[in-house]
Amino acid sequence: MQIFFQTLIGGVSLGAVYALVALGFSLVYRTMGLVNFSHGNVVMIGAYMASTFYLTAKLPFALATVIAMAVTGLIGVIIERVLRPLENKDFDLMLIGTIGFGIVLEALATLVWGATGRAVPSPVPAAPLDLFGIKVRTYDLVVLAIAAAATALLMLFLQRTKRGAAMQAVAMDHEAATAVGIHVGRSNAIAFVLGAALAALAGSLVGPLLYVSPTMGGTLGIKGFAGAILGGFGSIPGAIAGGIAIGVLDSFAAGHFQGYSELVTFLVFTILIVIRPTGIFGERTVNRA
Amino acid sequence: MSRTSLSRTLWSRFAVTAAAALLAVAGCSAPGADKDSTGKNSSGPIKIAIIDAQSGQLSSLGAWELKGAKLAVEEWNKAGGISGRQIQLDVFDDQGDPTVGTNLARKIASEGYIAMIGTAESAVTIAMAPILQQNQIPNIASGQSPGMVALKSPFLFLNGPTSTTYDETLAKYIVETKGVKNIAMITNNGSYGKGEHDAFTKALAARSITPVADQVVTTDQKDFSAALTTIRQKNPQIIFLGAEEVESGLIVKQARDLGITATFAGAAPQGTPVFRDTAGVTAVEGTLVSTPYMSNDLNDKTKAFAAAYKAAYNEDAELHGAKAYDGAQILLNALKSSNVATGKALADAIRATKRDGLLGSFAYDGTGVGIFATTIGTITGGKLVPAS
Amino acid sequence: MRTRATALRAGGLLILAVIGWLLPYQLDSYSIHVVDVMIVFALLAIGLGLAMGIAGQINLAQVAFFGVAAYATAILTTKAGYGFWTSAILALAAAAAFGLVVGLPALRIQSHYLGIVTLGLALAFTNWATNATITGGAEGISGIAGPILPGIDLSSEYLYYYLELIVFAIALAFGLFVVHTPLGRRMRAMRDDALAAGAIGAEVPALRMTAFLLASVYGGLAGVLYAGLIRYVAPETFSIANMFFLLAMVIIGGRQSLVGCVVGAAGLTLVRELLADYPTYAQIAYGTVVVLTVVFAPTGLAGIPARLRSTASRLGWTRQPAAAGTAALGPFEPYTAAQPVDSDTRRTEPILAIDNIDMSFRGLQALRGVQLTVAPGEIRGIVGPNGSGKTTLFNVISGLYKPTGGTVHVSGRNLTGASSHRLARVGIARTFQNLRLFGQLTVRDNILVALDDTRTYQAWRYLLWPFGIWRHDRNLRTAADEILTRYGLAAFGDALPGALPYGIQRRAEIARAMARRPRLLLLDEPAAGLNGEETRQLSEIVRSIRATGVTVIVIEHNMSLVMSLCERITVLAGGTVIAEGTPAEVAQAPQVIEAYLGDSDLSHDVPAPVPTEIAS
Repeated sequence: MQIFFQTLIGGVSLGAVYALVALGFSLVYRTMGLVNFSHGNVVMIGAYMASTFYLTAKLPFALATVIAMAVTGLIGVIIERVLRPLENKDFDLMLIGTIGFGIVLEALATLVWGATGRAVPSPVPAAPLDLFGIKVRTYDLVVLAIAAAATALLMLFLQRTKRGAAMQAVAMDHEAATAVGIHVGRSNAIAFVLGAALAALAGSLVGPLLYVSPTMGGTLGIKGFAGAILGGFGSIPGAIAGGIAIGVLDSFAAGHFQGYSELVTFLVFTILIVIRPTGIFGERTVNRA
Repeated sequence: MSRTSLSRTLWSRFAVTAAAALLAVAGCSAPGADKDSTGKNSSGPIKIAIIDAQSGQLSSLGAWELKGAKLAVEEWNKAGGISGRQIQLDVFDDQGDPTVGTNLARKIASEGYIAMIGTAESAVTIAMAPILQQNQIPNIASGQSPGMVALKSPFLFLNGPTSTTYDETLAKYIVETKGVKNIAMITNNGSYGKGEHDAFTKALAARSITPVADQVVTTDQKDFSAALTTIRQKNPQIIFLGAEEVESGLIVKQARDLGITATFAGAAPQGTPVFRDTAGVTAVEGTLVSTPYMSNDLNDKTKAFAAAYKAAYNEDAELHGAKAYDGAQILLNALKSSNVATGKALADAIRATKRDGLLGSFAYDGTGVGIFATTIGTITGGKLVPAS
Repeated sequence: MRTRATALRAGGLLILAVIGWLLPYQLDSYSIHVVDVMIVFALLAIGLGLAMGIAGQINLAQVAFFGVAAYATAILTTKAGYGFWTSAILALAAAAAFGLVVGLPALRIQSHYLGIVTLGLALAFTNWATNATITGGAEGISGIAGPILPGIDLSSEYLYYYLELIVFAIALAFGLFVVHTPLGRRMRAMRDDALAAGAIGAEVPALRMTAFLLASVYGGLAGVLYAGLIRYVAPETFSIANMFFLLAMVIIGGRQSLVGCVVGAAGLTLVRELLADYPTYAQIAYGTVVVLTVVFAPTGLAGIPARLRSTASRLGWTRQPAAAGTAALGPFEPYTAAQPVDSDTRRTEPILAIDNIDMSFRGLQALRGVQLTVAPGEIRGIVGPNGSGKTTLFNVISGLYKPTGGTVHVSGRNLTGASSHRLARVGIARTFQNLRLFGQLTVRDNILVALDDTRTYQAWRYLLWPFGIWRHDRNLRTAADEILTRYGLAAFGDALPGALPYGIQRRAEIARAMARRPRLLLLDEPAAGLNGEETRQLSEIVRSIRATGVTVIVIEHNMSLVMSLCERITVLAGGTVIAEGTPAEVAQAPQVIEAYLGDSDLSHDVPAPVPTEIAS
């Protein structure tokens, strides 16, 4: 029983990071119908940025994170700007274009920061909490809290602000949105910037949890994307639920199948998606002939 | 779109037929048969290749190896080379990928290199070995997997002990010196982790001990809660780590967060600063490390090496550089004693070379291993010191 | 002109063959190894091109197909003691089986969903290979037995090259043959528009599996050759990084052209070799080129000649070929009315009987208890305000939607909920409100896809009797030319539909539907966007079609057309049938007038039904 709960907690805290990654995927997807395969690599850049400001420039962790979010937001703008000609045209090509961006980002990080990566000490040095023999790291609680806050803020932005409402409209029907005077290009750019900033947030938080290296984007990206799809692609609560689900699935697979955990995780994921392509919260899209 | 696809298809078929006809004509004279495939010269510089990961996650190992080997070669070149010939050390990047390694093995064979230093990755070395053997190129490798020995290639030599030695020494210290029997294991499924797992399990079995927990993780796993909680329940005194630097660091960090206070034990990766920094200095305190190269201050030889290393690269020497330095010295000595022989003669000369090196005394046996001893150190205050 | 081009092409191929043959004589032992590896990647790229570029299936597991075959060869030769050739056959079978398993999700999901699932399965494969004892774990398997041929020493990489070259030439020729004959054409149609492909009888699920089968067999071939060449396998070779590298080859070369894929594979392997000492820069280079390619040259290197030609003709450097812009739509040549009438129409049984159909989408009830019976040989009109469920009804009839209640009988057979390709085979053809021609196929190819009636499972003939396929294709081409001429489209046969004026596209869609030789033709707003003359021609075409015994159902907003063309009209409003009868009856029904209040077209157009035209 103790193993069960400890595994669950480990899965949930890693899942919170996947959830943040998934959130960025979903936000970009719902607004512009684009799957950004380079998202994981943007997370990696964010992690490097944040750790550089935190470790080298000795800035407070929160400030380092905010600066990292701003910088990666800029990368988001660049990616969006370059791929704009393909928006709403060729979905698959755009997807492949983002894969190309991911490859470039990973190589750039290797050039700038080296291939071996770095360890980031935890900014929350407090000892783990002990609940009936189950240890909960304080830093995990911080990650969970920030993930929850980010989701809440994002929901508020989308539902309560004019700009957010405009993005919602673009998500539903970009042609109609154009017709009522919404600047679709700007809306898409904001989605991309927000997505990239979320990626940086995830990267910054994951640094002290794991280890920052140029290849970290691959796994985080794939698992985060899987989480977004599992939750229902394009759904904000779905991204959170899906991300955490993948984290927990991963954790239990590692516990039960040890070396074969990856095999099991992806097989289970495949089966779930084939059974229910729309995920947990997904809307069934009506295909009009 | 005036092209008609069918005619294209027809013509492709035609091409096949034509090719088949040519085969019949040219069948008897094979290309490349008359070429000198070795290209080994007896004048000009002596060409030695160093193949290691210079990019990718394992590139730090590759960088250390290169520095160590280069130091040895420069020493010899400054002293006038071998038989009046300078030594040319060329570096190739295997990216840590065995397939790239096989390509490079063919490349150095076709470009006339007479010997090879590297790689630090057992899987890459194993992949390259058959090609090097076929082309009779002696290879001094830096991996430690017993799998390399199992190949029985007369052209493959190790510049350090195998996992068997590392783990035998470690098990002996833990079980016999310290009297600890309550031991858990956590290893990964990569080539290094698998080798460590098998060697340490064997060493324990020889002492009739079964580990209380035997957890296997993947090489890119991030969360070890399940494995570590299982281990925690068994409450072991010592946890054996069989994983590379970063992953070992993560495991130790998470273990401490989960309230595991047991001592960790491992081999080469656990002696590195990367491991220490990933886990944190306090977390790794007391970790037992089985290593053939305890520190730069061990004796006069290591001190001289460390000083030269510092002078050349402005950084502190460590195990992998020292191993590569020893390996390169052995090769260069063999070249000298054999008067720059190549192929089998050079391999035999290496086998006959005895060296009192940084890691200890080398004397190769038939399996290509020249040194069979490691010592145990503990990490104290972030530094590796000899264990009491 | 044509013979000269053919002669040129033949000459080019001959030169290529000679170069290919003599190449090893110019290379040192390492360069020949690079070329050997290049051919392996070219085979892989062809497989990926077939799945992604031709069939439109995002397949990120190609590298795993490669791995399965390589590992199977390794295991069978080293552990089971089989010879190389036996192992090769078994390895190919293993790769094909694995390909079918990986392809299964494609039956349910597409696009990026398929991308992540195949990527995940590829990771699962690498994970397995890293762990299992039989695969040698992370250290892999060495000492794989190479192929043996009496009299030829295949352990020489020079001679191995010829083995690869022959396999490669056959594989490429076969791939090109598939692409340009019915099977490949149908896959390309499915890529452009899976719904429309299903509606003209393409068995989309079987085609998707075929795509994965082809991709995995090519991947398997590459894997077997790789194992025989390198004699060693390890998990790293089948990593995601290599998958993306392969993807870059296909994208840069041009995914829709197999030759482009080969060029991309050869180019990138060479570049990687040249930049071997700078892998990080190589990575930046190929990543950047991928991005530039998708933005500026989506068709890749293979598309560049066509782009240059079109630029040249736009700038007036060359004479305009086949004049897509200048030629006009030709006249329609009516069917000879005396053509044998389908025996079906003699029966009194209705060709279509819809009983009590309900269709709802998550609470939104689009159709409610719809009844519709259409007699053979009739022209039926379906009208109703926007959103009244007309197109939904068509989608139910043609099998795009499975109704949530009720039954559909076609000539007495219960075909409720049957798939669209099955209904297409029963003799239902349709056009679409928003035009769904296959955008990357020429107009002729659009017709050819519809003409072909072979089943997907008959694709085995490609292996055993390619000549039969070739002859079949030639016959189809003759038939397609007849149809193009009949519908006045002869001048546009080689044009892509997207470049054509709207009216021509509408005509082409009807021609494509009629190429199915249907018994029941569904036309969804065929007059939308047509000018007066084109509308007149349309009604002539529809009458002529009916005269051959085909039943026609038309959804149309143009009331004067409906009133003059249709014998009976069904009026839908709010998802239910509110009236049915002759045009005159319907026009006077009070509930119809009420439904159309505010929607003024009916009230203007109704008063002038022409009785003489209804009577026939």
